Amino acid sequence: MELSQVLGTRSLGGNLFITRFRSPNIAFAVLPGQFVMVSFEGVLDPLLPRAFSVCDVSGEDVFLFYAAIGKGTRMMSELRAGDMVTMNGPLGRGFPDVSAGKMVWIVVGGSGMAVVPLLARRLNRRDAKFEIFSGARTESHLVHFDGISTRDATDDGSKGYHGTVVDLIKESFQKDKPDKLFACGPTRMLEAVQSEFGGTVPTYLSVEAPMACGMGFCQGCPIRIAGGEGYYLACKDGPVFRSDEIDFGMGGDSE
Amino acid sequence: MNSDLTVEIGSLHLKNPLMTASGTCGYGDELEDYFPISRLGAIVSKSLTLKPKKGNEPPRITEVSCGMLNSIGLANIGVQRFISDKLPVLKRLGAEVIVNIAAKRADDYVSLAEIVAGLPEVKGLELNLSCPNVKEGGLEFGSDIAALGRITDLVRRVYPEVLIVKLTPNVARIGEFAKAAEGAGANGVTVANTYVGMAVDIYRRTPKIRSITGGFSGPAIKPLTMAKVFEVHNAVKIPVIASGGVFGWQDAVEYLIAGATAVELGTVLFRIPDASTGILDGIQSYMVREGLESLRELIGSLKANLDRMPHK
Repeated sequence: MELSQVLGTRSLGGNLFITRFRSPNIAFAVLPGQFVMVSFEGVLDPLLPRAFSVCDVSGEDVFLFYAAIGKGTRMMSELRAGDMVTMNGPLGRGFPDVSAGKMVWIVVGGSGMAVVPLLARRLNRRDAKFEIFSGARTESHLVHFDGISTRDATDDGSKGYHGTVVDLIKESFQKDKPDKLFACGPTRMLEAVQSEFGGTVPTYLSVEAPMACGMGFCQGCPIRIAGGEGYYLACKDGPVFRSDEIDFGMGGDSE
Repeated sequence: MNSDLTVEIGSLHLKNPLMTASGTCGYGDELEDYFPISRLGAIVSKSLTLKPKKGNEPPRITEVSCGMLNSIGLANIGVQRFISDKLPVLKRLGAEVIVNIAAKRADDYVSLAEIVAGLPEVKGLELNLSCPNVKEGGLEFGSDIAALGRITDLVRRVYPEVLIVKLTPNVARIGEFAKAAEGAGANGVTVANTYVGMAVDIYRRTPKIRSITGGFSGPAIKPLTMAKVFEVHNAVKIPVIASGGVFGWQDAVEYLIAGATAVELGTVLFRIPDASTGILDGIQSYMVREGLESLRELIGSLKANLDRMPHK
């Protein structure tokens, strides 16, 4: 846990922002796919900390990428340089390691791109190869970061492949297959990735669930264990799961 | 010079009045990542049941203004695994452990109490007779004075150590329930569990949590629980443990003045897992500033004329 100073916020158009924080402990320790919980000093509404994937790091700084849609994310986008937040993390289990020379396909939907910059940086350092497939409803919903090239898919065909990113990968699979598949995006996309590719290629899914604490205290973020009884917690056991570990259905106590 | 922050609940001697609220810090050991849990007055475990429980289907939580709703459904590893896997860790970390138990049947409360009774590491038992998120047990017992008295009495017969009953606030006269617990031999009452609450997604026109209603907690409920703590303090002689929306040390002091002997921290831990450290420092400084040597001088020290209350 550390008190982190806001260094600045950059708008990426629409409601998308990147905020930079001085947060040396987290910047040093974080692994791709891990997240932080951010709470606002002296503010009781929003009360609970908000979960953010760590988008990237630079030296002692942490970058968080988000769409400002709720009370917490809007407040975040309005923070000024010098403001302080409390950052708890890095939390959870990120993406697995990849050996040199192996190929990873990274599948993202919309603002699932948040995990890509840090992931790409670590894969480069590992000398692993990767390709990023990015899907969204329309061109304006696609997220791009400088220096990171993507193969795009849009539902309306306004940019790149006309169709879903899952269809794009299905097509690409006919020519080539990666050693691993990583996915981050809306639950519907993750379900499609799981059912289409989970049985073919080692596939890892970064799930999203409402969380109160991010530490396993509240048990508020259950993810159903595949074929079995009970739940994992998205915050502690995830947010990245191997696709055969989880089901997206329900499955609580029957009472 | 430091003031004396020790308090007593029955024969249980606590180094300070801060405890964790059941279900808000896992089994307690997870807190050690953030501060030494031996500094707490006591750790109250998650509600344990005879058999493991998966808990409710998601979504289980949602945030509301200055609070949250939860419907976890008593997800837990069961009493046996708690004893084999968690209790030794808590003991090694030097925590004072109070075990919270929940059940569907009176017999099961008794069985749970018997299992826990033989364990020297467990210093007390908190009966959850007030969970709002399961269909059977919990609230059903807690909102029926006779049932609450009967279960407390049955547990009392098999459990010789400190026995605390956690009351529901979802009743008109909580003082009567506290009296029933006291009459059946409880050493203390926790006031209170969460309030039944609800939130609606106005675009989908669906409840925001799957069980429709859930337990409402956080700073938003503090004034409601403050009134209940005061009511119970005036109704019984056994110690009252306040639980409801404490975030800062001022909240804890307020509860102590209103009549609480100890204070549980709950929702605050989701945001500030080491909140107890700052709260203890704050209470200590306040005591010194106010010239108070012992918490006994503060507890229940509210200056008020009860005749002014419109309904007592």
